[in-house]
Amino acid sequence: MKHYAQISGEIGESSDRPFWKDADTWDLAYIGYGLLIVTLVLVSYVLGAFKWLPYAPEQIRVDLLNAPPGSAGHLLGTDFLGRDILSRLIVGIQAYFLPGLIAIVISLVLGTTLGAAAGYRGGNIEVLVTYFNNLVDSFPRLVLILLVIAAFKPDIYYIMVVVGLTGVPVGASLVAGKIRFLREKNFIEAAHVLGLPTHVIILKHILWHHCAPVLVIQATIGMGEVILIETSLSYLGFGVQEPTPSWGNMVQAGANYFFQGKFWPSTAPALAILFTILGFHLLGDGLNSILEGKGKK
Amino acid sequence: MKLAAIRPITLALSRELVLTALLLLGVSLVVFVILYLAPGDPFSVLLEGQTLSHEARAGIREALGVPKTWYAQYLSWLGGLLRGNFGTSMRTGLPVFGEIVRVGLSTLYLTLGSMLVTLLIAVPIALHSSVRGATALNWPLTMLAYLVSALPVFWLGYVAIYVSIHQFGVFPLISRVSASPEPAWLYSLLPICVLGIGNGTIGEVVRYLREEMSRVMAEDYIRTARAKGASVWRHAFKEGFLIPMTEIIAAKIPFILGGAVIVEQVFNWPGMGRMAWQAAQDRDFPVIMGIAMIAATWVRVGSLVQRVVYVVVNPRASRERRGVGRAE
Repeated sequence: MKHYAQISGEIGESSDRPFWKDADTWDLAYIGYGLLIVTLVLVSYVLGAFKWLPYAPEQIRVDLLNAPPGSAGHLLGTDFLGRDILSRLIVGIQAYFLPGLIAIVISLVLGTTLGAAAGYRGGNIEVLVTYFNNLVDSFPRLVLILLVIAAFKPDIYYIMVVVGLTGVPVGASLVAGKIRFLREKNFIEAAHVLGLPTHVIILKHILWHHCAPVLVIQATIGMGEVILIETSLSYLGFGVQEPTPSWGNMVQAGANYFFQGKFWPSTAPALAILFTILGFHLLGDGLNSILEGKGKK
Repeated sequence: MKLAAIRPITLALSRELVLTALLLLGVSLVVFVILYLAPGDPFSVLLEGQTLSHEARAGIREALGVPKTWYAQYLSWLGGLLRGNFGTSMRTGLPVFGEIVRVGLSTLYLTLGSMLVTLLIAVPIALHSSVRGATALNWPLTMLAYLVSALPVFWLGYVAIYVSIHQFGVFPLISRVSASPEPAWLYSLLPICVLGIGNGTIGEVVRYLREEMSRVMAEDYIRTARAKGASVWRHAFKEGFLIPMTEIIAAKIPFILGGAVIVEQVFNWPGMGRMAWQAAQDRDFPVIMGIAMIAATWVRVGSLVQRVVYVVVNPRASRERRGVGRAE
């Protein structure tokens, strides 16, 4: 717990052992799995962006419909139009990768700004930020997104801006709480006495040194949420449209065949969603309990 | 003496009420502004396909009594809301309020039922692990909670439909309103269970209840109660169970409502979620505005109830200034 030792000024506590030597095995396993998923997503994104795929994702083969996984040439089988599922899964990542990053950047940047203002200044600003947080939290995310879709158009970038905004309260309250806790500490007082400008104290001493782990964790968990939202929306028919694949519309397209007993075309993207979101959740929680010393005892 | 004990509570409660009203006012403003900024206002959607000159449009506008400035439009809309007049749907021509009440009840049924399912699963797990500490069951339960929270609810719906139709021959895939010999509530169990399991909140509910319960169990007053042989459960109930329960339920209402949108789509359930989906496709502004308002009102009422329980159970809370941070 080097981290807390630094905050409270107990110098003797921190050890030179790297943090992973003291970590719980399970947390390391979580992080390992999460990093594996992140790597897979990144690699797939690059593969999809450069079109380095086993098959063209929209290439139809009428002689090979709903092939089971492991069929000749098609590692994960084919869907109801004989399109290669593996290729479609890889390309499907394009649907949420960049928009998801945008959503996360919005929620972290805005959340950190509001949280820092609320936590450091307090008073009326804090009341305003709390009001804003409660206001955003009043809307079920999907309902707000449907509202925006009705008003503008089902464009993934509009949607991700909304998702980013709905993520602001979590980030803001985390940062505000952290700053409220740190504000009273000796090292901040010392920085004040040394005459450092406020923005240096906030940006460097508080945010950079003490909030970076929280923000990384929040970004990780946020990515899981964004994927879930994107897949739900494309399942509802508001995201990427056929024939361009996204994981959500792949599940939806396979539905009729699912009820006839041909599970795979729907299940493959569903499993991809499951394992990816699981990876981001586990990575976030593992990092949380190692870097922040929270979670299981 | 008694007056002195009551007044802070009344004050705190009225503060909560005012806060709720202010938030709902903000919600209405947000809803209005989003749709006000939309390209092509509801008015021009109404006139779609009819080529009219600018003057003719303005004339119709005036004849229909549509105010010109945005704040006048907002105020007249808000006034309508307060009187229960949500406008008429552009698709069906029916008054929105009546439609929402009709479908809102089935959504209420779905969401309350699924919340019950979530709690029935989550509470025993949380109690088990907080009272017994770490047992052999802990790890599989944690893993299960993680898996369930990452599961896409629509796929879970497919699995449930397939299994029930093909294996058990029950729960026909039709909406619950259609006439059939079997009781309607039987059909509704399936979507309720699917939403209860698949809304992604079980993991968080378990974790939150377990943490709060373990924290309270370690308090001195519980040790005292244990030492003098009093009922531990009765002492731990308020702080360790009631307050965290209301907090987590209130915090999860938006998630369950959001999940209902998808589950209603999967099961063809005639509820608010499906109506919102339809309205988003048709750009039916009055309907989607009404649904957003009603959904936000549910959320706010949920957290109002939570605050009331908190203040009533814990009178100290009414004397301190309300914690400004987000309730965790």
